[in-house]
This record gives sequence, C-alpha cells and structure tokens, in this order.
Amino acid sequence: MTTTGEAHDADEAHDAGDTRGHHAAPPSTIERRVAAIESLLVEKGLITSDTVDAVVAAYEHDIGPRNGARVVARAWLDDDYRRRLLADGTAAIGELGYGGAEGEHLVVVENTPEVHNLVVCTLCSCYPWPVLGLPPRWYKSFAYRARAVREPRSVMAELGTTVPDDVAVRVWDSSAEVRYMVLPLRPPGTEGMGQDELAGLVTRDHMIGVVR
Amino acid sequence: MTAPARPPTDLPADVPRRNGELVFEAPWEGRAFGLAAAYVDASGAGWGAFRDRLIAAVADLPDGTSYYEAWVTALERLLAEVGLAPPGAG
Repeated sequence: MTTTGEAHDADEAHDAGDTRGHHAAPPSTIERRVAAIESLLVEKGLITSDTVDAVVAAYEHDIGPRNGARVVARAWLDDDYRRRLLADGTAAIGELGYGGAEGEHLVVVENTPEVHNLVVCTLCSCYPWPVLGLPPRWYKSFAYRARAVREPRSVMAELGTTVPDDVAVRVWDSSAEVRYMVLPLRPPGTEGMGQDELAGLVTRDHMIGVVR
Repeated sequence: MTAPARPPTDLPADVPRRNGELVFEAPWEGRAFGLAAAYVDASGAGWGAFRDRLIAAVADLPDGTSYYEAWVTALERLLAEVGLAPPGAG
C-alpha cells in the first residue's frame, strides 16, 4: 500500500504535463470566468462570497477520506454496524454524522477474500463527498474513467495492486444517482487495535478500491 | 487489504490526509467548486441539473482539460439557461 502513491504520481506526472500545459496558457481567462460568475451571483443576491469561502474551507480541511476511514474502522469493530452499513449506507454513515451533498444515496460494497470491488464514474466524476472528500486528479482523468470498467485488473496493476486470479473484480460505476464506497478487508495483525488506530490504516485509495 | 507497511500510529486518525495531494490545484478551482456548491444550495434545485450539465461539459471539453474548467462551463450554461449569463461567458 505504500507504493501506490508513487504509482499514482508516476501516472499523474503524465497527466500533469497535459493539464498544466493546457491551462498554463489561459489561466487568466479561466480566473476571469470564475470571477465573473461570482460577481454575478453576489450582485443578484443569490450567494455571498463568505458562503463560497466556507464551502471551500470545509472541503479543504474538514471533509475528506478520514470520514470514510472512521466508517470503515467502525464496521471492522462492530458487526451490527457493518450489517447496517451494507444494508443502508446513507443511514449508517449518517449515524456517524456524515452526510449532505453527493451523499444522499451511498452504497457500501464489501471486499471479501473472494471479491474485490473497484469504484469509477465513467460519465463525469461522481464521488461520495461526505466520506471521501473531493476526488483525486487521476479519478477524474479520462484514462481512468475509460479503462476502469474495461480492464480493471490492468489499471490496478499499473497503480501497484495485483489482484490474484482467484479473486473476482467487480466494478461499480457511480454514474447514476448512487455513490459507491468500498469497505476494504481488515488487515491481519490488527486484532488489538482500537477505532482510531484502525482508521489510520485506511486510505482513500482503499475506499475507491484501487488498492486492496 | 494488505498489512500496514509501517506502524500506523505515526499519523493521528484526525489528520485530514489526502494522500499528499492538494484538493484544489489552483485557487480558481476551489472558487469554481465553491460557487457551484453555493449556487446549487441557494437555488434549491438540487444537484441533478448541475450534474447533467457537468456530464455534458466533461464530454465536450478536450481530454486533459482541468476538471474544474468543466465545472465552470457547466455552471455558466446552467446560469445562462435561467437568464443569468455572466459577461464574457462562452
């Protein structure tokens, strides 16, 4: 699990060339477009700049994959919670105080020794914000969106995870109203750990499923 | 899930970890996101209408375009449809 960050970075270095090259030239244009929208909405009294500041700060600081990691740790420790989580993700996640935009229909899919789950959004980049925050760049890339459904094992292998042949891979496309999150397998050797310690083991990539 | 490669206690569970990545790569990206979220909330129309335009914008813009540029395009189109076109939008 330590190598995937590097694998993503390698992948992103490629993307980043494109992306930065692409918006290195017109950044002032895009900044002007954004500023024009803000002026308009503020002028019409529809929003305030303070509201925008608060939303941005929340997603930069408070809403992120730590929320999902707490959900996973709780499910590992509490079998009743785990069952509720798999039966009704939105309600069980709401028990821990997480919910809101893009979290209305959360479905949690469980990895088992026989099955590995992988989440993608092929049409845009739907993502369970309340539990994972905003999506990483590679999740939004055309390459990931296009290839995750077609060749999930290859995509995962490139990101540093090889799924054994006797483990089935299921791909969940979040393009409908539903947002998926993966409940990873609890690692061996963690029997004595408490909820916070367990949560510290869980990364965003486990909950997207690009890491097993 | 594989066993942790290093002791897990070196990171408190409360630290918002984003695998070393920035949530927004430039200030305008955060602004674009925040504007869309604030507008969707204020309009009371829900995310569905915005999401439809985002899907269309992602499909329209060339591969390699910043994801949040698609947000800006989607929001401009949504606003134009309700008669709120910012100057210079296109």
